Amino acid sequence: MYLINSFRFGGGAPAVDPDAQAFITAASITDPTQQSAIDTLVTDLKGYGIWTKTKAIYPFVGGTASSHKFNLKDPQDTDAAFRLTFSGGWTHSVNGVQGNLTNAFADTYLVPSTNLVTDNHVSIYLNTLFTSGSSPYNIGAYNAVTQALAIRTMGTFDNSSRTYNYSQIDIANTIGNTAGFWLNNIISSNHRQLRNNVLRSSATKTGTVPTQKVYLGALNLNGTASLFTNQRIALSTIGDNLTATEEGNLYTAVQAFNTTLSRQV
Amino acid sequence: MIQVGLLTELQKDELVGQLYAPDSYFNPIQDINDNWVISQEEMYNNENELVAWVKDLPLIDFEPKPSPFPPTE
Repeated sequence: MYLINSFRFGGGAPAVDPDAQAFITAASITDPTQQSAIDTLVTDLKGYGIWTKTKAIYPFVGGTASSHKFNLKDPQDTDAAFRLTFSGGWTHSVNGVQGNLTNAFADTYLVPSTNLVTDNHVSIYLNTLFTSGSSPYNIGAYNAVTQALAIRTMGTFDNSSRTYNYSQIDIANTIGNTAGFWLNNIISSNHRQLRNNVLRSSATKTGTVPTQKVYLGALNLNGTASLFTNQRIALSTIGDNLTATEEGNLYTAVQAFNTTLSRQV
Repeated sequence: MIQVGLLTELQKDELVGQLYAPDSYFNPIQDINDNWVISQEEMYNNENELVAWVKDLPLIDFEPKPSPFPPTE
């Protein structure tokens, strides 16, 4: 019985989820721990019903730009598959991808107005702290203050974190810790900002969906990468909106994934 | 203070669209004085022999353009 549970289809080597295997192959992941972490992440997300709600999942495994660029949901080397294009001074490591506060960003090619349903979620797992920068954005697409999708963990000029979905929420930073799993979601017309599955604030959703592409490591400000961050990114997801239960399950799966890779916070 | 490599306009044009490492593109930007610059990561991680000169660029302090946002945005 234990063997059957451990080896999904019985026989010799454990079966790997085909979507996980496609990513492992595309990204040339050879480390068994990393392979196992990807497989578990995919099976967890499928088990929770979150997999089908996501358009892009960037797990940042492999330690190089050539492995980090792939979208777990569709690991083809094309813009249409939302494969990342890295520009500027990124640092790639087994712990994720880190910008430089100067000019580093990654283009997801994902346009919210085209590729997402009306209500959606954006998440980002940051495993270093905010250190400097007036208003660095970790992920975002911006047309206007009521037409944006973005996450910023800290701004020194107003001491607040900020999310857009599609209107803006500001939250005074009383937590003193900008690392962790940040989630920007909509439930029942309420825009919610969570960190480590703790609701920090919510507000009635207003505004409209942005038409700019989503950038990682910076804000796509009407077509120009701006407001660059240097917080290291260990994972990011973009997709349809989640239920409250799914919010918690996504955090559980992502935290387990990063714990397996010894890069959790 | 972050330091960056200073480019001429012609050097900037030469780097646009070029890779400095596999799947990593140069991204020249303008600072507050409209100087074209690239990061030290691009300079010292460059593997593109056609633009090997980037490792010898003069370094200047990076002074970013002001935030495009007013505080309420």
